[in-house]
Amino acid sequence: MSLTQINPLTDDQRDALQELTNIAMGQAGSSLAMLLDAFVDLSVPRIRVVEVVELPATLADLVGKNILVSAVRQSFQGYLRGEAIIIFGEPGSHALADLMGYEGDLGESSQAELLLDVANILSGACLGGMMEQIRNFTETHGPADLSFSMPSIMARDVPAAQIIDPKKVQWTHSLLLEVNFTIKDRNFVAHLTMLMPEDGIEKIRGIVDEFIAAI
Amino acid sequence: MSEGASPPNLAENVLKRIDVGIFVLNKNFEVRLWNNFMAHHSGRPSEEMLGKNIFDAFPELPKPWFTKKVNTVIMLNNFAFISWENRPYLFRFAHNRPITGGADHMYQNCMLMPVNNESGKPESVCVVMFDATDTAIATNMLKDALDTLGEISNRDGLTGIYNRRYLETRLESEFDRTRRHGGTFSMILFDLDFFKKVNDTYGHLAGDKVLVEVARRISDQLRSSDVVGRYGGEEFALILPETPIEGACIFGDRLREMIELEPVIYDNMTIPVTVSMGATEYSADLASYEKLILQSDVALYASKAGGRNRLTCYAPELEAIAVSGAKH
Amino acid sequence: MSLPILVVDDSAMARKMLIKSLPPEWDVSIAQAANGIEAMAAYREGKAAVMFLDLNMPEMDGYQVLEALRQEDMNSMVIVVSADIQPIAQERVMAMGAIAFVKKPISFDALNEILKQYGVI
Repeated sequence: MSLTQINPLTDDQRDALQELTNIAMGQAGSSLAMLLDAFVDLSVPRIRVVEVVELPATLADLVGKNILVSAVRQSFQGYLRGEAIIIFGEPGSHALADLMGYEGDLGESSQAELLLDVANILSGACLGGMMEQIRNFTETHGPADLSFSMPSIMARDVPAAQIIDPKKVQWTHSLLLEVNFTIKDRNFVAHLTMLMPEDGIEKIRGIVDEFIAAI
Repeated sequence: MSEGASPPNLAENVLKRIDVGIFVLNKNFEVRLWNNFMAHHSGRPSEEMLGKNIFDAFPELPKPWFTKKVNTVIMLNNFAFISWENRPYLFRFAHNRPITGGADHMYQNCMLMPVNNESGKPESVCVVMFDATDTAIATNMLKDALDTLGEISNRDGLTGIYNRRYLETRLESEFDRTRRHGGTFSMILFDLDFFKKVNDTYGHLAGDKVLVEVARRISDQLRSSDVVGRYGGEEFALILPETPIEGACIFGDRLREMIELEPVIYDNMTIPVTVSMGATEYSADLASYEKLILQSDVALYASKAGGRNRLTCYAPELEAIAVSGAKH
Repeated sequence: MSLPILVVDDSAMARKMLIKSLPPEWDVSIAQAANGIEAMAAYREGKAAVMFLDLNMPEMDGYQVLEALRQEDMNSMVIVVSADIQPIAQERVMAMGAIAFVKKPISFDALNEILKQYGVI
């Protein structure tokens, strides 16, 4: 149990955040579709406020328990602060290499590069889309702009529950946004999750309230 | 000049002189900006580079890959990164640690950013390049050390073959892999017969020599995918990927015979050695890899009960022998 | 009599945004649905001369609604309102009988343009 108490999001806040995410994700899906020249199915966003100790189980719950995944992390800072974790389903880099038109076996580092590129495009487009919407209705939270650090591979072929070690996370609570992108006939799935620490949760709450008031 | 306002050309001067590579390419890959870092490391001054096609100036650049990277940045209006871990460098520059580096080029991290025109459409790409040589060297050294350490911690100190901990990890991953992707594999558990007597008769150093010798002979016979390890005192285990039980038995019996036919020589003593083996094959209805160990143990027990120096394949009926044997 | 229109979206906020973007002078009676199943029920009750349909919803999504409508003779003008801005998504829904596609976040001008074009206002 943690000492910090975080109020859960109200139904209205959750609903508004889900719609903001949904629109942002549309941009990310469109970027991915352009990159891969394939139709991308988009999921309904899932939003949770979780205690960090529950993160591994929550991720396994979102992604699936009996598969091995690869994951890329990328931090963002500025208007919001947090980390995007992009989780690729089992066929991961092989399906991607196929989609990008690479032939034959890709070397280990080219596979890694593909995962990093796609992860970067998803997080950049999704968060960029979110900032664009926020710029349209908010005034009180400063300029809505983000910078991103270089993405890195955090896990290859592990069960989803092992992607994050809660002991190494400095936060107690985290806001978790998850959307997934599927290319059905190519057996490709990528989950985009965004994790924000406690101060981020309160900031998001403020933004969302402003969004609700603006409608 | 008013208090607080930037002097003219401040940004331009900083850009030019900062110790980070910065250059800009338009859609046709013509250079629009080339700062001092780029000029000094490439030996091409800005005056020479401006307006020039980057691939004409540097024919050694990986053209299809870099073209795709830049085009994606413009098409998606999104930034991109290039990490030295995937691609050591974009431009082959000498680095600033020629003596102590252990690298013959500069490792580079790059960030590509879209640069928009007045109407907000991306029309060129700014590349920012960081010298990552120090990080790369430190990371590579650490990785080598960890690899060595990892290898050591997986090995049995006496025989040099894998230890029990590693065997179990491998067995578990082989089990999971086969469960997911299909196929099969076998394992063999084996014991040196009357090993206590070897120690008592010839001494412990002779006993150690026997263990080392058996490990060496078996290692010499393995395919690259096979794994052999020391499971306990005089107990060994073999994991044979993609091998059905029939193949495992033929192979195991050949090893058994090879050990029997050639006694171990130590300090002018001839020490006869035989082994008892128990073999079993993966099956989809097994709950876990531990079950596989139990089955080969049952088969191994049957070999011992049957007079030693033999190989037994696991069969469910053997469980009864093992149970009644354990009672006595 | 005012025109019955149906706003289908799993997000209450999105429905509110859409309703706010409708021309104020337009004489309509507005019903709402949070998923495809509710949408089909309202449609069968005659509440959807015009339907604003989101694509990405739990339970029954927008594509499934279009499919169901086609089987029931499509007695509704469907305007798809979606964050999925892939050109193929747009082509698909038009081929399935939608009359127009409006992307989210919704713009008052774009919506008005379409409503004028189809002569509903």
